[in-house]
Amino acid sequence: MAGVWILADNRDRTLELLNVAAGLAEKLDTKVAAFLWNDSQLAEDYIAHGADEVLILPSLEEDQPLEAYIPTIVEEALRQDPDIFLVAATARGKEMAARIAGRLNTGLCSGCTALQFDETGKKLIMERLVFGGAAVQTVTCLTRPQMATIAPRTFAPAVPLGDRTGQVRELAAGLPGLVRIVDRKPKAKQSGDVSDAKVLICVGRGLEKEEDLALVRELANVLGGELACTRPIAEELHWLPEETYIGLSGQKVKPDIYIGVGISGQIQHVTGIRDARLICAINRDENAAIFEVSDYGIVGDLYSVLPELTREFKRALGAGKE
Amino acid sequence: MLRIITCFKWVIDQADIKTSPGSRELLLDRASYRISDYDRFAIEEAVSLQEQHGGSTAAITVGSPAARKSLKDVLSRGPEKAYFVNDPSFDTLEPSQTASILASAIRSQLEYDLIICGEGSGDLYAQQVGPRLAEALNIPMTTCVSKLTVYGTQIIAERKLDDGIEVVAIPLPALVTVLPEINTPRIPGLKDTLAASKKPVVDIKATDLGQSFEPCLQTITILASSMERNGVKFSADGADIRKFVEVILKTGNIS
Repeated sequence: MAGVWILADNRDRTLELLNVAAGLAEKLDTKVAAFLWNDSQLAEDYIAHGADEVLILPSLEEDQPLEAYIPTIVEEALRQDPDIFLVAATARGKEMAARIAGRLNTGLCSGCTALQFDETGKKLIMERLVFGGAAVQTVTCLTRPQMATIAPRTFAPAVPLGDRTGQVRELAAGLPGLVRIVDRKPKAKQSGDVSDAKVLICVGRGLEKEEDLALVRELANVLGGELACTRPIAEELHWLPEETYIGLSGQKVKPDIYIGVGISGQIQHVTGIRDARLICAINRDENAAIFEVSDYGIVGDLYSVLPELTREFKRALGAGKE
Repeated sequence: MLRIITCFKWVIDQADIKTSPGSRELLLDRASYRISDYDRFAIEEAVSLQEQHGGSTAAITVGSPAARKSLKDVLSRGPEKAYFVNDPSFDTLEPSQTASILASAIRSQLEYDLIICGEGSGDLYAQQVGPRLAEALNIPMTTCVSKLTVYGTQIIAERKLDDGIEVVAIPLPALVTVLPEINTPRIPGLKDTLAASKKPVVDIKATDLGQSFEPCLQTITILASSMERNGVKFSADGADIRKFVEVILKTGNIS
């Protein structure tokens, strides 16, 4: 038995993994199997997007977290012996993948950012970031299944392939686990989403007080962009929602343009913006690390630069529209 | 009595990572080492839980003999005993090996109710050792913990996930990995540093563990990540800001 398996928390992440899994399955001359729970209607959708088999996990007791699926998934993996097992690197996905890899006694490439298939060795050559993003580690897995967690939006979603058929199989329920949910507090959906924004204005510690966000917001409004920030701004100062912080442990973004305001350019933050098409920065320290990774920068005090920059963009964009 | 183990890693200080000129090769020879930042929150959480509930806190690390320097540092942060699992071959372990070695050492030498790890290490940040260690010890676990409370023989942990907070109850013994927002690690003072040198250290050698630990993951290369950009700088005067705006608009990235 064999196969390329994928496991993801939601449909978006599943489609991204289906895209990469389909190519790998073709090279290995094997099939793609995707896990699914809660919403069995998605089975046909996943098949249309490239799954050959959809493995339905039985519904859980109210107090059981998703991690309770681990024994069922591990048992199935021991029976089917997949070649490759890819998991979306969401908060839950990372835990589940590490625990599954532990039980299967196999290697796991965490937070894989790029992968190639080596035809001769039938091995995945996988890249991931280390030292806070300052370096790239290239790894291969010496054991089966070859496992990786894939950061969200690393791959484009699969497109529907039209007339496809596949199997849907329900897996047997396992015993409830020892970890019980006693409360859930879902996050209120915020208006702007930094992960999809084309224009991002990002603030860092150079901003002196929360009220000054207004200056940054004005620029964002003129450019039709969203506000984002560094980890301390969200987690220590709470000036902006936590889902707007960019970096190794936060959002990784791919905007058309990123403008960093008062950001020093710590590697953990920079790692989150490396895929931006254009990187710009405003900082009063001309030796700030952010300038080393910027296309265009302005060396100056953000409090004098921002109003003028906003005015200039407004003028230039306004002129273009007339 | 609550017996806590906190795991930590001695990692290269990222600020010391240099690249050799004209290549992507990393120069790490002269880098200094420190206790992984993420692990400082795990150590602090262990020590503050012990202050509330009594019991004991032991710190454990796996590394090459050079990591011995970490022991005084970790003990100055509050734990009363350190376990040092070391071997010259333990300097390039991958996460599955580290977890197996920790599990083996803990099983043979330590009694515990709660194990606390950081969210990931400061160097590899694979975020695997905590979950794998729990599996190897066959105890329940959870990750992403932003608040932790101990009630008798169970813990209540608030997990910060992508879609909101999930509060879970877990019977002890258990393992958790904690996020930086869980606490503010105290800075050791002179008194703590002096006290640290009097605290016991248990040396565990690879041969004491009576088994070998084969890697599941092989590193082919570690190279500096290249992030080449234009690097054009403008000044803050009016004419330069106007030029900056022109250049940006010309790139066509703002519609």
